Amino acid sequence: MIILDLAIETNNLKKYFGVIHAVDGIDLQIPKGSLFGVLGPNGAGKTTTIKMLSTILPPTSGDASVLGFDIKKDVLEIKKRIGVCPQELVLYPRLNARENIHLIAQMHGMSKKDYKERTDDLLGKMNLLDRSKELVKNYSGGMKRRINVLMAVIHEPELLFFDEPTAGLDPQSRRVVWDFIRDFQEKDSTIILTTHSMEEADDLSDELIIIDHGKIITQGTPDELKGKLGEGDILEFKVKEIEQRNEIIERATKLDFVQWGKSVGKHRIVLNALDGLRRVSEIMDVIKVKMEDISVRKNTLEDVFIDLTGRRLRD
Amino acid sequence: MEQIFEPKFTNQLWYLTVKNFKSMIREISQLVWIFGYPLVFILLFRFGYGLETFNIFAPGVVILAPIVLISQLAGHFAEEKESGTLQRLITTPVSRSTVLLSGLFSQLIVAAIQIIVMLLLILLFGVSINPNANIFLLFFIPFIVAFTSLGFGLILASFVRTASSAGGLAWFIILPLQFLGGLLTVPLVGFIPTSLAAEAMGAVMINGSIAFDLVGLNIIFIAIWGIGLIVLGILLFQRKTAIL
Ligand SMILES: Nc1ncnc2c1ncn2[C@@H]1O[C@H](COP(=O)(O)OP(=O)(O)OP(=O)(O)O)[C@@H](O)[C@H]1O
Ligand SMILES: [Mg+2]
Repeated sequence: MIILDLAIETNNLKKYFGVIHAVDGIDLQIPKGSLFGVLGPNGAGKTTTIKMLSTILPPTSGDASVLGFDIKKDVLEIKKRIGVCPQELVLYPRLNARENIHLIAQMHGMSKKDYKERTDDLLGKMNLLDRSKELVKNYSGGMKRRINVLMAVIHEPELLFFDEPTAGLDPQSRRVVWDFIRDFQEKDSTIILTTHSMEEADDLSDELIIIDHGKIITQGTPDELKGKLGEGDILEFKVKEIEQRNEIIERATKLDFVQWGKSVGKHRIVLNALDGLRRVSEIMDVIKVKMEDISVRKNTLEDVFIDLTGRRLRD
Repeated sequence: MEQIFEPKFTNQLWYLTVKNFKSMIREISQLVWIFGYPLVFILLFRFGYGLETFNIFAPGVVILAPIVLISQLAGHFAEEKESGTLQRLITTPVSRSTVLLSGLFSQLIVAAIQIIVMLLLILLFGVSINPNANIFLLFFIPFIVAFTSLGFGLILASFVRTASSAGGLAWFIILPLQFLGGLLTVPLVGFIPTSLAAEAMGAVMINGSIAFDLVGLNIIFIAIWGIGLIVLGILLFQRKTAIL
């Protein structure tokens, strides 16, 4: 028998809010030390899953163990070992950056000397040292976002939950946060990262799930998932003749270099075609309608989602 | 390798209380409310109605001070719920009751400061206090009233979602307490905390009395009110915020 050292294991975990099936039967096995991505559109159930695993929201049914502890029975043991970065900016506006971070450390019972040193170190890494004595209410959104992250990590937890940690950050700050998260992974922490940025999921995660309507629709490493879509390029375009979408896709997929096709949203079609860039004209000849607004790209996780649901991650 | 810390309840309580206190004194509007509202009545009585009337109503004005803590406390917890900080706190190994206690503690510190300031202010504005008045009781009676305010505040906090609605709705408790209790008028109802307190405070401040039936008994009744309201408040607050 192989015993995997698991950070998280869930069994048919569900959360219903009345008629809304926010999380609808999730089975997970997340090995220790991995950076695990949870990708899904708005309302997929990412935050609800994190809240259940961090013990602040009781599940409707199912069980989960976190670091070997039961989420219903061993709440305190779990809380001692996790750090949570919530999706919203949750800070005390009338405390300064240091005081906000210190408060979390104090709740964990870190020694003053330890948390003071570490806070300075962390603020430095996030380029926030020079303004750390100002009240947080005067910070810009991006600065608050970085403090939001630091409050989750001050006590060096074994398991970290980051719920969309880079939402609303400019590309440069986003890089800073990404590098920061990678640092933790190198220290052997287990990290659960939710996002609806396919770039982020692709770049950071060792393994990921894509969830939609509270269910896992696929799971694997980013390369595995993209690999399932085939070798081809993704060709996306708009057509005027929307009623004929299905016929157009049918005609296109008859070509031997077109592996599959899907309609996305109301007006768009996505084809997966080998060597797609050079064969656009061939495709055009076959589908016999005008393609507008064409883009050709490599497979992304977004296309994995499109393939599975016929929708985009972000509409 | 990660360390696991063993947090101590007393330390958590202390740090949370300090945090609450800092958040409060850094907000000008809260300071204005805590000290300004009772001050308005001091000025009104002293300069509007004159020193003689002021002498009669000064005990009530001091009782008025801890009453404003109802909106203060309800606003504090509503803000923690609304902004998500309560939820964030309880992802750490701190219990909900420690967070709750810290909220009550910091308000009691405010109450103590507020009462001392009010007593100094009425003296400054020339109120004549009976030379035999028991100074400890002058402080203790309004301080006991602060406990009933915390109870009312908690009950209110368990029903409201935002700090601003807490501030608004608090008036529906503050005004009846103020007028029915006769803090600034004649009392209409005898058994509510404010009328009990005003009676006891008047006996101590004006007559220099320490009679049990006027002072001791009233303090006991106010304390019963306080305990009852706080227990009810805690039960309601815990239940209403159990599912976050
Ligand atoms: N407290 C609640 N009461 C009622 N419904 C809720 C509650 N919390 C979440 N939901 C619903 O559960 C579903 C999943 O929400 P959740 O916040 O988990 O999604 P998400 O994947 O995090 O989305 P987003 O990317 O927008 O953050 C949504 O339909 C949401 O409206
Ligand atoms: Mg979310």
